[in-house]
Amino acid sequence: MQDIVLEVKNLTKHYGIFTAVKGISFTVPKGKVIGLLGPNGAGKTTTIQCLLGITLLDSGSVTYFGKDFAKNRQYCLQKINFASSFNTLLGRISVWENLLVFAHLYDIDNSKKKIMELAEYFEVTELLSSLFHNLSTGQKTRINLVKSLLNDPELILMDEPTASLDPDIADKTLTLIEQLRKSRELSILYTSHDMEEVTRICDEVIFLDHGKIVAHDTPLGLTKRIPNAQLKLTVEGDRAIAEKFLKEYKQKFVFSSPHVVTINTEGKLIPKLIFGLSKNNIYITDIEVKKPTLEDAFLQIARNKKYVA
Amino acid sequence: MSLNRIKAVLLQEFFITKDLTVMMDLPFLSIVTIIMFGFVSIFLTGTASFVVARYLLVGALLWDVLRIAQYSMSVEALWNIWSRNLCNMFIAPMSLAEYIVAQMISGAIKAILIFTITTLIIFIGFNFNILSLGIFNLILFLINLIIFSWSSGMIILGIIFRYGTRLQALAWGLIALLQPLTAAFFPVRILPQYLQTIAYLFPPTYIFEAARANISNTATNWNLIGIAFIENIVYFIISAWFINLMFRNSRKLGQFSSNEQ
Repeated sequence: MQDIVLEVKNLTKHYGIFTAVKGISFTVPKGKVIGLLGPNGAGKTTTIQCLLGITLLDSGSVTYFGKDFAKNRQYCLQKINFASSFNTLLGRISVWENLLVFAHLYDIDNSKKKIMELAEYFEVTELLSSLFHNLSTGQKTRINLVKSLLNDPELILMDEPTASLDPDIADKTLTLIEQLRKSRELSILYTSHDMEEVTRICDEVIFLDHGKIVAHDTPLGLTKRIPNAQLKLTVEGDRAIAEKFLKEYKQKFVFSSPHVVTINTEGKLIPKLIFGLSKNNIYITDIEVKKPTLEDAFLQIARNKKYVA
Repeated sequence: MSLNRIKAVLLQEFFITKDLTVMMDLPFLSIVTIIMFGFVSIFLTGTASFVVARYLLVGALLWDVLRIAQYSMSVEALWNIWSRNLCNMFIAPMSLAEYIVAQMISGAIKAILIFTITTLIIFIGFNFNILSLGIFNLILFLINLIIFSWSSGMIILGIIFRYGTRLQALAWGLIALLQPLTAAFFPVRILPQYLQTIAYLFPPTYIFEAARANISNTATNWNLIGIAFIENIVYFIISAWFINLMFRNSRKLGQFSSNEQ
């Protein structure tokens, strides 16, 4: 049986008459990365804030490591941490001073050694004496990660940690997160708008929409639920025969040029179509298959299309 | 309550005090103001009254204790809100009580340090020794003023937590409102009757009255100090309840995190 580090049951949060989160439940197992996705206003940030205690939930429960968060706030917060590209540290003091403050807040033994170790790991040693507000966005993100690991957390809540980073720095940051997860068996609750990033690092994805969980699966499982794929063929042969064949199969298709046809079909029909066209003396010289991505699943939800959860 | 977490907030306070803005708001403004009052007192001693001059100096020195301790409590939180760091601090296992206690200690230390500096300036440059009011009296004055600054600091912090930075001007402005009301520089009897009634609702009014009385007579005025102390206890309890309520409401309404957005 998997160890559960975070269990959320029927979490509900209202702001006046608006319900931001409607009774969501999920768990984060030890060592797993769970993605929390959804369009703007879906309730991700409110959920994270409730999980951190900076916003109080109206009903439901949050349990960390088997202990009720509401009754054991300090115990739970000591074992978790938070990294976000939106929350920063105090700008007018140095990185070292900021980290020293947080080391004391987390009651860390030998705090100076710990800060140096993490600074070396994230390659930010040379930044320690700089004022925090003088750092670039990428540097601030890495310093935030140092801060988020000061207390050797068992769970980190990450709210878009790579937002506003350039692709190179974002990739390095993700690699660091992947390494951390492996080396520490760290659990992560991860929000992001970048679907490639989520597909890369998340074991499971929870889709939120209008405060509800509308899907919860692995990234692959979610994309498989979208049956449609796009098949783009470059063909040689009688176009009328190809059209007749595709019509018989009730396929939606369009010839963008006399030799290029784009077919919107179900993924499982692709081999049949290719084989059928070949059998009808249509020679296929190039094949391009576009399978649904997590982004397609996200867009389907965001645009409120019918979705089978 | 963790001493390490209280130390963390004190450390942050210490680090940020090096910032030029804080230096200008605290020691610089205090020193410039007291020098100005020093010259005014020389002018008044020569042209008007020795006692009036002393009133001004005593009022200026003691008023600054109140201003600094309250400013320190309220503005430190604002520095964190402006930097989007206050939520980070409360995501750590720090309780509101630990944060407030640290702010109280920090405010008191700053107020006493700057009071010592300004007192020395007045002693050396303007020939007035505040210890002439009586050391014991002075300690009682400082304790009462600092407790009141803690209470007003908690009220202001509570309002900022609950209503956000749109009311941040209270951190500087509210205490200024109390300056005439508490009769820091003149006897309370100067105020119209209805304002006198209001003035006596505030503990510093009694302290300034007692301090002025001690210019000519160092006997401890237990009546005035006693009332101030009782009022201070009431204010402190109400303020502690208020900030707890505001902190809770702020988190309940999502305002606490919105303050940093």
